[in-house]
Amino acid sequence: MALPLGLLASTFATVFLAELGDKTQLAIVTISGTSSRPGAVFAGSATALVLASLVGAAAGGSLSSLIPTNLLQLAAAVGFLLIGMQLIIRSLASTETPSE
Amino acid sequence: MSDQQEPASTDATGNTPGDTSGLGSSAAASWGAVFVTTATTVFLAELGDKTQLAALLLSAQSGQPLVVFAGASLALICSSLVGVVLGRWLARLLAPELLERLAGILMVVLGLWLGRQAILTLPNFS
Repeated sequence: MALPLGLLASTFATVFLAELGDKTQLAIVTISGTSSRPGAVFAGSATALVLASLVGAAAGGSLSSLIPTNLLQLAAAVGFLLIGMQLIIRSLASTETPSE
Repeated sequence: MSDQQEPASTDATGNTPGDTSGLGSSAAASWGAVFVTTATTVFLAELGDKTQLAALLLSAQSGQPLVVFAGASLALICSSLVGVVLGRWLARLLAPELLERLAGILMVVLGLWLGRQAILTLPNFS
């Protein structure tokens, strides 16, 4: 059975467009822009995204009943806030003591 | 354009400026720490996100979850590559302090937005 390229292409396009400008991608831009380890940022985000879609594909329709997704999103929100706070604090600190 | 040397100047706390690397790590972030922080944050944020739903719909409809998963994974890897490249481009464009502040504000806004979204969709236990 030939590989259904049509399906592959349509999934790729759908997910790629859905992801463009998505808050996850904004977070990736932010973290990679302020990190000295862009490689790790790429590896971490790519792995996480693939795992998340694996979970999504495997769980089929019952994802929300299986995993309290909004509780997870709350945890993610806290994660974003923490990273954001740390960045702001560091940017304030580095303006007071101008790094050479 | 040769690969620009990362400025390794560290400030008083020994923390290389422009190094986010998760929560309060003092030494320059290890590869692993950045990997884990990014992976957990993105994974949590991604669950329940609309990309998930797109993948679900297609896999249910097509009956070929493997193909759908391959397409979705490729797309996600490409989109995180785009994100990282964009981030590095911004890092070269903007002064570190400015980028850090903008990045911090954006992350806080994203956090608030995500939190609000999660709270709004909390099932009310009536």
